[in-house]
Amino acid sequence: MNDLLLASTLGSTSFPNFVPTLAQSGFPVPMSEITLAHYLVVSAIMFTLGLIGFLTRRNLIVMFLCTELMFQASGIALIAFGRFHLEYTGQTFVIFVLTVAAAEAAMALALVVLLFRRKESLDAEAWKDMQG
Amino acid sequence: MLHVIAPAILFTLLVSGGVGVALALPRAGRMPQVVGAATAGLAGGLLILAMSIRAGADAPNVYFYIFSAIALGAALRVITHDRPVYAALYFVLTVIATSGLFLILSAEFMAFAMIIVYAGAILITYLFVIMLATQAPEEEDVEVLADYDTTAREPIAATVAGFLLLSVLTVMILHGTAGLQKPQPVNPDALLADMPRKVESTLRNHGMLDTGDQIAIDETTGKPKIDGVKGEIVIAMESGLTATLSRSEWPSDLRVKNVEGLGFDLLRNHPGTIEIAGVILLMAMLGAVVLSRKQVEMDEDAKAAQSRLLSERRLSDSASAAIGRGPGGGE
Repeated sequence: MNDLLLASTLGSTSFPNFVPTLAQSGFPVPMSEITLAHYLVVSAIMFTLGLIGFLTRRNLIVMFLCTELMFQASGIALIAFGRFHLEYTGQTFVIFVLTVAAAEAAMALALVVLLFRRKESLDAEAWKDMQG
Repeated sequence: MLHVIAPAILFTLLVSGGVGVALALPRAGRMPQVVGAATAGLAGGLLILAMSIRAGADAPNVYFYIFSAIALGAALRVITHDRPVYAALYFVLTVIATSGLFLILSAEFMAFAMIIVYAGAILITYLFVIMLATQAPEEEDVEVLADYDTTAREPIAATVAGFLLLSVLTVMILHGTAGLQKPQPVNPDALLADMPRKVESTLRNHGMLDTGDQIAIDETTGKPKIDGVKGEIVIAMESGLTATLSRSEWPSDLRVKNVEGLGFDLLRNHPGTIEIAGVILLMAMLGAVVLSRKQVEMDEDAKAAQSRLLSERRLSDSASAAIGRGPGGGE
């Protein structure tokens, strides 16, 4: 073992700045901007579906499911951008999005249970008289 | 104008997708939902395929198409299915397919966190609430669906608004990404300098460090001599000699993994945000408890009776405790 290390000490002068090729080292290869556009378009379509669902569905629970759909879409966009710039910040932000989504789900579902107890219905139209 | 897809094709596909979604929304069975869903799916699929034709070698691999087809199809079913339980289950499918996309984007930790937190925790909460907040069906009509589940509210206006947003978004995305510079390849192993213990144990497991050897310490900075960017680790051997391990000799598993990089970024660059996230979660927990607590309505007489009952019980409790402590009453 020590012989190998000694050999490497001697040899290291010959290639001091050895930089392996990307494929050798298994590093993430930079992603092209067209690939990024594919992911962003998928994310935009999913966000739009969530938005349409939120506007059209009348069931309170399904409306909140649609907001989760929009959170998912933003997560795809964040992670795709993070992969494009080869940074971890995109993934870190998805963790925070996940936190907010969990908090939102807890609060929203508690509210939904409360509203259901009042009117015995999950219909958003039942609360039309609030003029909101 | 757009280098990936011709504007005419893009807007035609967006309009047909919008018509499809509008038809697929639940409208009390009056509209051909299946036709609408098929149209929307076809338009979305053609949009992404049309982008890929011009992309050539830059097109993403085949798993991207599989996962995004599943994710978008399930998302369409989430907003069109007239049974909330099925909508929630289709959302689980969306989450799983999205995790597949995260895996392709080499975000392994987030992929599994997504499945565990979303599909495992949040969606189960949704299912519980759906079961809690639904009237029990009568004996004879088991299959009845609530009116508010089978009819959509303003489907055409909402679809028009949504697809206007989508067309603006796609045009902006295709324009904006065209001008982006490809980033320089980054060396993720630069973080190895901050993980001397990982480096040491990996080297020991591969027999590259003998028992007396250790990683050399820089006298001026007091840090171990690990350079992930240049790919050099200096080893101080027991005999007093030093040796340099260059990248070609490193064991293949000596590299920064996704979880390690993510953890470093999370705790080193965003420590305050974690605290705020914790406060948000705590507030959400308290809020949910306060909101969903059942309030007991009592008038003045009932309150007086309740407090009298409580004080009597407390008196009898303390009396029995005194008896319990007396001689012969011990256990």
